[in-house]
Amino acid sequence: MARDNSSETYIAPVRNLLVGALVLVLLAVFAVWRIDSPRVERLRMAVIDRVVPSFDWAMAPIHGTAHLLADFQSYQRLAAQNQDLRRELQQMKAWREAALQLEQENAKLLDLNNVRIDPKLTFVTGVVMTDSGSPFRQSVLLNVGARDGIIDGWPTMDGIGLAGRIAGVGRQTSRVLLLTDTSSRIPITILPSGQRAILAGDSTSNPMIEFLEDRAVVRPGDRVVSSGDGGVFPADLLVGQVALGTDNRLRVRLAVDYQRLEFLRVLRAHPHEAINDPGRLLTPMPEIYGPSALSPAAPATPEAADG
Amino acid sequence: MADIAEPATWARRAVFVLLACIITITQLVPLNLEPVVWAAPDLLLAVTCVWVARKPDYVPVYIVAAVFFATDLLFQQPPGLWAALVVLLTEAIRTRHRELRSMSFAAEWAFVALGLVAITLANRIVLAIVITPLAPLGLTMMQLAGTVLIYPLVVFVARYLFAVAYVAPGDMRKIGQRT
Repeated sequence: MARDNSSETYIAPVRNLLVGALVLVLLAVFAVWRIDSPRVERLRMAVIDRVVPSFDWAMAPIHGTAHLLADFQSYQRLAAQNQDLRRELQQMKAWREAALQLEQENAKLLDLNNVRIDPKLTFVTGVVMTDSGSPFRQSVLLNVGARDGIIDGWPTMDGIGLAGRIAGVGRQTSRVLLLTDTSSRIPITILPSGQRAILAGDSTSNPMIEFLEDRAVVRPGDRVVSSGDGGVFPADLLVGQVALGTDNRLRVRLAVDYQRLEFLRVLRAHPHEAINDPGRLLTPMPEIYGPSALSPAAPATPEAADG
Repeated sequence: MADIAEPATWARRAVFVLLACIITITQLVPLNLEPVVWAAPDLLLAVTCVWVARKPDYVPVYIVAAVFFATDLLFQQPPGLWAALVVLLTEAIRTRHRELRSMSFAAEWAFVALGLVAITLANRIVLAIVITPLAPLGLTMMQLAGTVLIYPLVVFVARYLFAVAYVAPGDMRKIGQRT
């Protein structure tokens, strides 16, 4: 450190002081984060927004090499894969026919009932740029942000199932908190029983079902869709299937494929109109039905005036 | 620390920063987004410990603080806490690096391992005190064990790939060179 002993005796205390100050500053940042998390998270998002897109060129070769290896492995079992795909395609054709018929029938029935359904959700598609980088957090960074009109809290899906929701928007990037993250909680409905519950991520690939009212009516294999409870999510987005974990807790086998997540759709979820004023009590008109009708001389009672 | 470093030392510092960048970017590449059942060792921390123990001049404290604060931000960790703990650990190693040089490798390894355990526990305890969601304990322990286990490997790589090793007595090219 120092060239000789005499300068070391001067430098060491000053240096210790500076290091102490540095540690204190870092701890102060942590304290501020704990106290005023949204502000610091916005700062974090701004930093990521600035830094990560410029590293795209560096990530491309790593990503490319990994894909090359994966592709090479898949070439080896190309014939088997082809067979499988053909068989699946046959099944899919049959299912497509069934789906078309059901869609028509559904449309007819909805028309008969004169049901007004939710307006179609539109979406923005983004490319997955990075993951969270640590095994403890499950989130990805998309290359769409405030510039593309992304708003915090919007749900994201891959082609099939719900993947997570937007938690943090930068100018040109946004972070998606995956359903498997330990801090992810979303309201769900379990079909066909219609039970409402909360899907809580716990850093395993199958998140837990919490706050279930009646476990007896839920069976493994039941479909799980999002519910509009609390107005945070649009309803009826496919989440997955109920599965019974080895620890005998109900979990959800997610429909989204996290292994091959390259693109994500961000659904433009517009909040429902809120009904703010409470319904007023409908009381009979006192002059017709109330006590004043029985004894016309008495003034209106306080209860009637209340309504 | 107002240090007057030679250009060669600055080049070595740049190498460390570059290495840190490469490790960070590699961790950020989204290869598999499924939650893992095992946690990879914290390579960046191991590299930093090796560098500080061997060549403290190449990793001044402000670089350590900057690198780990940046990873705190990028990896969605609580910002500042982990960086502060790592700075404390590296300072503990730095002040003893002359003693470490005369110790056997096993003793050095044990010392660093003890430090890693201490800051991991401190991190968890502080996070628990301020009621922040904690990572699963199993994963943290696995990562800690992994980091301790790859330490000798990193020492080996640093020695033969990056020429980061203790300065042997009589290895000085000129009088008064920093060690």
